[in-house]
Amino acid sequence: MMLLKLAWLNIWRNKRRTFITTTSVFFAVLLAVTTRSMTDGVYENMIHNIVSFSSGYLQIHQNGYWDEQSIDNSFEVDDQLYQELLKNPKVTHIMPRLETFALASYSEKTKGVLILGIDPTKEKEVNNLHEKIIEGQYIETVNDNAVVLGEGLASQLKLRVNDTLVLLGQGYHASSAAAKFKVKGIIKLGSPDLNNRVIYMPIKRAQYMHGAENRLTAISIMLDKTTNLEKLKASVQVVLDAEMYEVMTWKEMLPEMDQFIEADSTGHYIIIGILYFLISFGLFGTLMMMIFERKHELGILIAIGMKKHLLALILMLESIMIALIGCFAGILGGMLVVNWFVKHPVHFTGELKDIYENYGIESIIYFSSSENIFIVQTLIVLLLSILLAFYPGFVVMKLRPVEAINS
Amino acid sequence: MAKTIIDAHNLSKTYNKKIVPVKAVQNVHIHIEEGEFVALVGPSGSGKSTLLNMIGGLDEPTSGTVIIDGVEITKLPENKLIDFRLHNIGFVFQSFNLIPVLTAKENVGFVLQLQKMSKEEREKRVLDLLHQVGLEDKINSRPGELSGGQQQRVAVARALASIPKIVLADEPTANLDSKSAGNLLDIMAKLNKEEKITFLFSTHDVRVIKKARRVITLVDGKVDSDVQQIPK
Ligand SMILES: Nc1ncnc2c1ncn2[C@@H]1O[C@H](COP(=O)(O)OP(=O)(O)OP(=O)(O)O)[C@@H](O)[C@H]1O
Ligand SMILES: [Mg+2]
Repeated sequence: MMLLKLAWLNIWRNKRRTFITTTSVFFAVLLAVTTRSMTDGVYENMIHNIVSFSSGYLQIHQNGYWDEQSIDNSFEVDDQLYQELLKNPKVTHIMPRLETFALASYSEKTKGVLILGIDPTKEKEVNNLHEKIIEGQYIETVNDNAVVLGEGLASQLKLRVNDTLVLLGQGYHASSAAAKFKVKGIIKLGSPDLNNRVIYMPIKRAQYMHGAENRLTAISIMLDKTTNLEKLKASVQVVLDAEMYEVMTWKEMLPEMDQFIEADSTGHYIIIGILYFLISFGLFGTLMMMIFERKHELGILIAIGMKKHLLALILMLESIMIALIGCFAGILGGMLVVNWFVKHPVHFTGELKDIYENYGIESIIYFSSSENIFIVQTLIVLLLSILLAFYPGFVVMKLRPVEAINS
Repeated sequence: MAKTIIDAHNLSKTYNKKIVPVKAVQNVHIHIEEGEFVALVGPSGSGKSTLLNMIGGLDEPTSGTVIIDGVEITKLPENKLIDFRLHNIGFVFQSFNLIPVLTAKENVGFVLQLQKMSKEEREKRVLDLLHQVGLEDKINSRPGELSGGQQQRVAVARALASIPKIVLADEPTANLDSKSAGNLLDIMAKLNKEEKITFLFSTHDVRVIKKARRVITLVDGKVDSDVQQIPK
């Protein structure tokens, strides 16, 4: 108690120096928190966007499907499994999928395409697929006898809304799958890859065409953005028959994206690291001055009977207090800034917007308000201030009272 | 017969042993009995501070022993020595004795807090001491708000707070005008009588020397004379 009080009083002896030091910590933390929130927000959002159009956060397949992506590795719909999965509060949507490859022809053009058999209502809820329609209409029900094409694909096939398209592929157990569909709508997707080769088809139609009634190649699961993926995967695995099903995360299904994020984060960590390195120097300088100015006083305290480790502890408390004042102010400021940006995401305009959209990324920067960001920064600053305080502690332990008093 | 409270036996201190040795204190023997009021005098550089620091366990002698109230402190390991000082020795230094961020009351109470004395007891002792040094109206002042003489009086109160066996004061009046110096010495003399605490202080000041009951004179690190006198 006395030590805390003394440390507190001591840090205000040189108000200006303490103010400068805490302010530098404040700005470092503020910067670290906001940039971290921004990059995390961008990643979270990018992941959310990409997976909502592609894999989902998690997918359940028949065991072995991922290594051999054939309709023969599909599985039968199990309503009980749906119920079980939906019990998890983090699970927001479950989307049945039947994915196959086929050839699509229109007049004399033919192209390899990806057929995505979907539940149109569910997709709509997850990724607003219907809003991406640029011509015609979206498919409405699982039975709708019509398809929606990616814009790139449509232009390659020189095909328009209401034209009829022929699809030829392989069905379940080597049956042949062939069908004609009317094009109900044309859709413009962010991902150029999907845009150039996707055909969305109502799931019942897809199953019928492939002779795979009631069968799926995957169940895509959508989650709350901030869910811990590995934990959730484990909890899904628990309710599944491991002999029959495999569960994969988007990181496993889209490893390039995961690697991209990792690589991108490294740069960020380096910058934050340098920032904290500089701040450490400032704090260290302050601690050095504090101890050298006070040698006489420290010598007297040792002379009148104060143990050196208690003095070292006071100096450590002072270091921690200075750092934490700056840190908490930075966290507070960071929360305000982050909250503001969470509510008012940054919209890119002009050239930058086009660049982003070409990569299939939304031209909006969302911020993440994950509490982890704040906790991690606080811990880093706390740890730094403790580490730095070892130096004055060390000086005190070596202090000889007579020399100190005479200095 | 009064008991020996300070027994310095054949004490020597040599600085710069390797380069140009300075024999600051040479083969000094001093016995001081409980309740004495002793001035340590001598020209500048005669070794007064060095001797006091060794007696107080702040500095290690090159040879010889110091026994305080039967404890050979020259043999104690560092932490035991710090504890010994806390409970048995009060110090008053020349200047800047006090913790600047604490009030007079907190400064005096500090050693008692280190001794883990209860709050009520502490309060009582601190107020009593500040009263004895005539600073009852300054208990909540910080050192910066006190005159040099007042600061030294607070330092004396602090030195006495733990009821030590001895109080060592190295030129406590050096930075004071003669009136404040005389006043401080009167307070020290009074506390020496009332609390029966042994005082050993060094000084240059003739008027201060007059207040002592025994005067030990050092010259070139050796005891030159050791006389009893009637204080004025
Ligand atoms: N740390 C040290 N290193 C080297 N020599 C020292 C040191 N401290 C003191 N001395 C020397 O030891 C001798 C005694 O010094 P000391 O300070 O004990 O004298 P003093 O009687 O207290 O003098 P003053 O009246 O000026 O305070 C002096 O010659 C001094 O130069
Ligand atoms: Mg001296």
